[in-house]
Amino acid sequence: MPPRPKKYICPFTKSGIKYIDYKDPKTLAMYITYYRSIQSRFHTGVSLKMQKQLARGIKRARQMALLPAVRYEKG
Amino acid sequence: MKDFVSGIKIETLGNTYYFLTEPKSMTTKYEIMVIIKSDLDEPSAKKHFADHVGGFIKNAGGKVTFEDFWGSRGFAYMIKKYKWGYYGVFQFDMDPAKAVELRRELRLDNNVLRFLMIKVDKNAGEPRKYADMKKEYDALEKDLEKDATPVVEAPSREKLTTVKKAEPKKEEAPKDALDKKLDAVIDDASVDL
Repeated sequence: MPPRPKKYICPFTKSGIKYIDYKDPKTLAMYITYYRSIQSRFHTGVSLKMQKQLARGIKRARQMALLPAVRYEKG
Repeated sequence: MKDFVSGIKIETLGNTYYFLTEPKSMTTKYEIMVIIKSDLDEPSAKKHFADHVGGFIKNAGGKVTFEDFWGSRGFAYMIKKYKWGYYGVFQFDMDPAKAVELRRELRLDNNVLRFLMIKVDKNAGEPRKYADMKKEYDALEKDLEKDATPVVEAPSREKLTTVKKAEPKKEEAPKDALDKKLDAVIDDASVDL
């Protein structure tokens, strides 16, 4: 049996955040990977409720060019 | 239905249906973020944002509750060969039927590069100004720079070469001494090997 992964505490519920805003790209950028994809809940320890909000926030920020969708952009 | 006061009551096939004639509020809270093209100057872009985009909202019967012009900002990727633009945020209460008109008018505006229109979440607190957010992040970054340890300079090539030359000389001296001691011990007849 492989060792069970460590149990993480959600960083948002810990600091009392109820809503993740898309207008705050610096906090959203902490939850994307090297290739600018959304980081999985397994690695960050974000609760399911906040992960859904986080994904929505990142996708909205991508629409408005506040966050990149890919690492390398043509041109 | 104890709270049912005014409306229509329909009874069909043993089921009863209630329809409220006068709903409490017809407006919903919206938020739009607008990107204005970088062809305009900053003051004219600000004017376009306040007068035209704000004017669309007022004409469509919206009540503006929050207004914030971010200023110029670079994009994360190119949009229609533009590398940067002016951002602005509005929050307002509006009839959802009229929101369609607003969306159409924004799409037809030539100076608006892109816009996002969303319903404001229940849990979303009071909107914050972009300038205040930027100040907080700048202060945080300064604190991080203070806490960071100073970078240690790597030793130059000259120092490395001098050290290498000095090391073998030191090692040779004790070896000679050890050999002499060993010879003395071997020569000594009193010790049985």
